[in-house]
Amino acid sequence: MSIELLVCLITLFGLAGIGTPIGYSIMIAAVAYLGLAGLDVALTGEKILQGLYKSFVLLAVPLFITAANIMNAGTISDRLLNFCIAAVGRFRGGLGHVNVMASLIFSGMSGSAVADAAGIGKIIIEMMSKDGRYTRGYAAAITAATATIGPIIPPSIPMVLYALVSNASIGALFLAGVVPGLIMGVVLMGMNAWISTRRGFAKEEPVPLKNLPKITINAFPALLMPVILLYGIYGGVTTPTEAAGVAAFYALILAGLFYRALSVKSLYRIFVESARSSAAVGVVIGGALILNFIIISENIPGMMSEILTELDIHPLVFLLAVNLLVLFLGCVLDATTIILVIVPLFIPTCQALGIDLVHFGVLIVVNSMIGLITPPYGILLFVINAVTGIPLKEIIGEIWSFLAILIGALLLMILVPDIVLWLPRLFGYQG
Amino acid sequence: MKQILKYFSSGAEFIAATMLAAMFLTFLLQIFSRYVLLTPFGWTLELCLILWVWIVFFGCAFLTRERDHVTFDIFYLASPRRVRQAMALIACAAIVIGMAWALPATWDYIDWMKIRKTTTVKNPFTGAKIPIRTIFSIYAIFMVAVILRYAWRFVDVLRNGPPDEDHEIPGHEPDPPHIRHGDDAT
Repeated sequence: MSIELLVCLITLFGLAGIGTPIGYSIMIAAVAYLGLAGLDVALTGEKILQGLYKSFVLLAVPLFITAANIMNAGTISDRLLNFCIAAVGRFRGGLGHVNVMASLIFSGMSGSAVADAAGIGKIIIEMMSKDGRYTRGYAAAITAATATIGPIIPPSIPMVLYALVSNASIGALFLAGVVPGLIMGVVLMGMNAWISTRRGFAKEEPVPLKNLPKITINAFPALLMPVILLYGIYGGVTTPTEAAGVAAFYALILAGLFYRALSVKSLYRIFVESARSSAAVGVVIGGALILNFIIISENIPGMMSEILTELDIHPLVFLLAVNLLVLFLGCVLDATTIILVIVPLFIPTCQALGIDLVHFGVLIVVNSMIGLITPPYGILLFVINAVTGIPLKEIIGEIWSFLAILIGALLLMILVPDIVLWLPRLFGYQG
Repeated sequence: MKQILKYFSSGAEFIAATMLAAMFLTFLLQIFSRYVLLTPFGWTLELCLILWVWIVFFGCAFLTRERDHVTFDIFYLASPRRVRQAMALIACAAIVIGMAWALPATWDYIDWMKIRKTTTVKNPFTGAKIPIRTIFSIYAIFMVAVILRYAWRFVDVLRNGPPDEDHEIPGHEPDPPHIRHGDDAT
């Protein structure tokens, strides 16, 4: 390792460690590296600008962010919720099931776990903790756990970011997320049913079956959204990036014209907030571009791959080790940072060991989503705490069983790659 | 002073929202041209990319607040106030020094890019292709703005101590938009 790389890493971790914005920390570390190595410090700006300006795929990020915000602001989420209550609210632990199902459907649109938790999640928590039917902590915990499904089921911003650093096909990645997302939904429902029976949580007043058609029709245009998206991408009609645009447009039409739930003023706020978060994510993506340039010119991934192949590690051992590492990092780092900064280190090793990059990508995304609810630093826990005021301590106290079952599901996906790869192969993915 | 700052930030919000809306519309236009007209316009894609670059750096320069950024703040939040102040000061100083160091060379690069032009997007008034320098100049503006902002923050933290609201919600997500509750939902 060269001295300038060492300085670069010390600067990066030093600055990021004291709370400097990650994107800026990387930029400053890169400038330090280039300056010490006697290279042109302008390379930082050059790589970032060229990278952002050339990457068509990245346009999906601001578009999905906008789509998620539109969906949350209109009444689309409320309608979906009513549909879910009518469908699964009648069972023991009903609202818990509603929570899971709403996340499954809603995630087919938003692509962002935080949008799930802050939007539809907040409403469900209020319903669940009303009259003390469920404890506040339990309501918050299950909402956090189900929100992790969001970015597994397409569309998904983290998967777009993974595709950027790994060159894996976005279409295949999106498809590969469907079954794992459903599995996560099923295990969470199972856990909810078990806990609800054991602790005797109340049942909901069942919605009369004769009302079901009306509620379904009411939610139908919103339910159609995932279908349109998936058909667009896999029917070969649109690229995933274009599908992001279509999703945002469809959400806009639904909320604005069809349901008439969006005023011009709130639309303006949506654009402002979306631009704000796009900029914040964009600067980290930019940082990742220059950081990847540095680690590649230092041949770090190549050296890692050499050492690991020489050690003759079994691919499964490697996968387990990397997942353990990411799970651990997920307790302290943000998913964007893990995918953009840490994961590129392992890509060449994966290729050398013959691990499928789509399989790897889904594992990483699932894993870093689990990281969103892992104490002490789970962003979803903080977001729910911020929007509902439920104390972190109560949420964390209830989160462990859901965390355990999700990690179990992850382990299953590691051991049985077919769960992940079956669907993309069905659609002609070679790998 | 406060009034000016308020006008300034709502102006920045307006520009950013307009850029995002424009990007969104251009993108839809592109899809329309490709799948309905079957003759892609070509310029739409490049315009989207230009707007994307501008949204990111204009946004970071004038729109994002400290708490919007992706940060790792466990240590920061766990530290006593004096230590926090020192951390915030070091962070500000490092950003200012690093950005100021890179600025001249970066401007040279951006200025040199005047020889390259956009491939499809044209200036609507003159019909001439736009130099890449014009597009990339937002990065120089971003650097200057970041230098000024963090220099100001340095002084502010030195005088008033570390602000408390900067790390309220970790992560980069926006304030959750208002959700409508109402009978019209069913």
